[in-house]
Amino acid sequence: MTTVVIGVGNEFRRDDGVGPAVARAVAAAGVRAEISDGDPVRLMEAWDGADVVVIVDAVRCTPSVPGRWHRTTLPHTIPVASSHGFGVPEAVELAEALDRRPENLVIYAVEVADSGFGTGLSPAVAAAVPRLAAAVLTGFPDLTNQAAVP
Amino acid sequence: MTHRSNRTLRVAGLARVEGEGALHVRTVDGEVDRVELNIYEPPRFFEAFLRGRDFREPPDITARICGICPVAYQMSACLAIEDACGITVDGPLRDLRRLLYCGEWISSHALHIYLLHAPDFLGFPDGIAMARDHRALVERGLALKKAGNQIMDLIGGRAIHPVNVRVGGFYRVPTADELRPLAETLRRALDEALATVEWTAGFGFPDVEIPHDLMSLRDTEGYPIDGGTPHVSTGLSFDVTEFGSHVVEHQVPHSTALHARLDDRTYLVGPLARYSLNRDRLSPTARQAADAAGLGAVCRNPFRSVVVRAVEVVYAVEEALRIIGSYRRPDRPSVEVTPRAGSGHGATEAPRGLLYHRYELDASGRILGADIVPPTSQNQTAIEADVTQVVRSHQHLDDHALQSLCEQTIRNYDPCISCSAHFLDFTRERA
Repeated sequence: MTTVVIGVGNEFRRDDGVGPAVARAVAAAGVRAEISDGDPVRLMEAWDGADVVVIVDAVRCTPSVPGRWHRTTLPHTIPVASSHGFGVPEAVELAEALDRRPENLVIYAVEVADSGFGTGLSPAVAAAVPRLAAAVLTGFPDLTNQAAVP
Repeated sequence: MTHRSNRTLRVAGLARVEGEGALHVRTVDGEVDRVELNIYEPPRFFEAFLRGRDFREPPDITARICGICPVAYQMSACLAIEDACGITVDGPLRDLRRLLYCGEWISSHALHIYLLHAPDFLGFPDGIAMARDHRALVERGLALKKAGNQIMDLIGGRAIHPVNVRVGGFYRVPTADELRPLAETLRRALDEALATVEWTAGFGFPDVEIPHDLMSLRDTEGYPIDGGTPHVSTGLSFDVTEFGSHVVEHQVPHSTALHARLDDRTYLVGPLARYSLNRDRLSPTARQAADAAGLGAVCRNPFRSVVVRAVEVVYAVEEALRIIGSYRRPDRPSVEVTPRAGSGHGATEAPRGLLYHRYELDASGRILGADIVPPTSQNQTAIEADVTQVVRSHQHLDDHALQSLCEQTIRNYDPCISCSAHFLDFTRERA
C-alpha cells in the first residue's frame, strides 16, 4: 500500500505554513511527503498512484484554538470565485468527477492564529507541528515502511 | 425582467479568472452608461520592491508576480537587464529559454481552455461540473497541462516560480539524455493539442468583431514567444526601447491596475493579436489546424480566442519538440553579465500577451528604477469596450443571461488580475 503525506499551504503566510512544516517533519522520519500550494491539478498529481493520502492544511476558525487539529475525511466546500481561491475541497471534487479520488483520504485541518504576511509559525501552531507529525506517523504505520521521496 | 430601460448588473467576484475582480455595468434609457472592470485586488508594489536591489535579482523577484506565468516575468526581466548591460543571449541558451517558455504556454493555455473557458461554451458553471459529464475531455486538458509543467520542472527546476533562471542564462543546463523523456510526452501532447483545436472549433461563437488596434511582438523568425519587436495592426512597428513613448499608462479610480493606451488609441495584446500579426510564422501543422478550424488570416472575434490558444498550444508543443530534437548541451550554463550604468528594455509574449520590463541601473548594478507593464493591465480598456459592445447588442437578454455573457467576454482575455494590480502613485510621479 502506498501512502503519501501532503502538506498544503503557503509558508510566506505565517501559520498557513503549518501543512508544509508537518510534511517536512514526517519526511525527516523517512516517509514520502510532498508540499503543495493547493492547486487542484497539482494536488491530484501529488497523490497520483497513492492508496492512502494524508493531507495537512491550515484552517481559520472563529473562535480559534491555534494548534488544535481536526481529522476528517470530507473537506467542506465553500464556493470560491477566482482560481486563486481553489484549494483542497475543489481538488477532491475534481478528483471525484474524474474518478481519481484516492481510496483513503484523510485530512488534518489545523486551526491557526495568524495567516498574515511573513514567514514563521505562531508559538501555539509551531508547538503542534511535532505532535501532529507524530500523530500522522502513528496513525499510518505503513508510512514508515516506505522510502522517502526527495 | 427584460427590455428595461434602466438596469444595473453587478458581478461582485468574477469567477474563473486569475485573481480578484468585479464588474459593474449600468444602462440608462437603453444606452450603456457605465462599464467598469473593477480590479480591487490590493496593489502589489513590485516596481518599488525592485528599487535598490541587485541587477541579478529581478528574474526571481518578478517571477513571484504570477504563479501561472512566472517564466514570462523571468524572461522579460532577463532581456531588459541584459539589454542594460549590453549583452545578448543567443544560440542554445536562447533555445532553452524558448523551450522553458513553451512549457509555460502549454500549461497556462491548457488550464484556461479546459477548466476556465470551455465551461462557458458548453454551459457548465465550472470545470468541475464539466468534468462530471466530460471526463475524457478534462483528462486530456490535464494531460496537456502536465506536459507543459514537465518542461518547466526540468528546465526551470520547478513548475511554479522556477528557480533555475538567471540573468545571462541558467544555473544548470540539462543533458540531451535528460530531455529525451520529455520528447515522448510531447509527441503524445501534440495529438492532444490537435484534438483540442478541433474540439474548440466546434463551439458556438457570438458574432462579435473588435475594432481595437492589435499589438504583438514579431521576431526575426518563428512565432513570437521569447522576444521580438512590437508590431501593430495599423502597420506601425517600433523598437522595444520606444515602448514607453507609444504606450502610456494612466490611473482610473475603479481599478488598482493601470490602464494603457497605444498612441492614444485602445489596443489589445494577447493571442488574437499574436495570431493576426504572425499567422505566417506558425508551423505548417499549426497553420493547417488553424485553417481547418476556420480562423482565417486575421481573427478579431475575442470569443474565438479559445481556438487561437489551442492553435498556439499546437505550435508550442511542436516548437518544444524541435528544440529538444536539435539540442546540444551548451558549454556553459550562462554568459557573464557585467553591470553598467544605463537603462534596458525587454519584451516577451506572456500567454496573455506582450509583457514589457524596463530597468535603470547604476554602475554597480543597483536598480534605480523599474517599470513593468503586464498584458492584463494593457487589455483593461479593450475589455471594458468589449463588454460595452456586448451589452449594447444583447439588450434583449435577461439579466442572468446578459451577466453570463459579460463574464464570458472578460474570460475571453484570460485576465490575470494579480499580475496587473501593481500600480503605485509614486511610480506615476517618477514617470
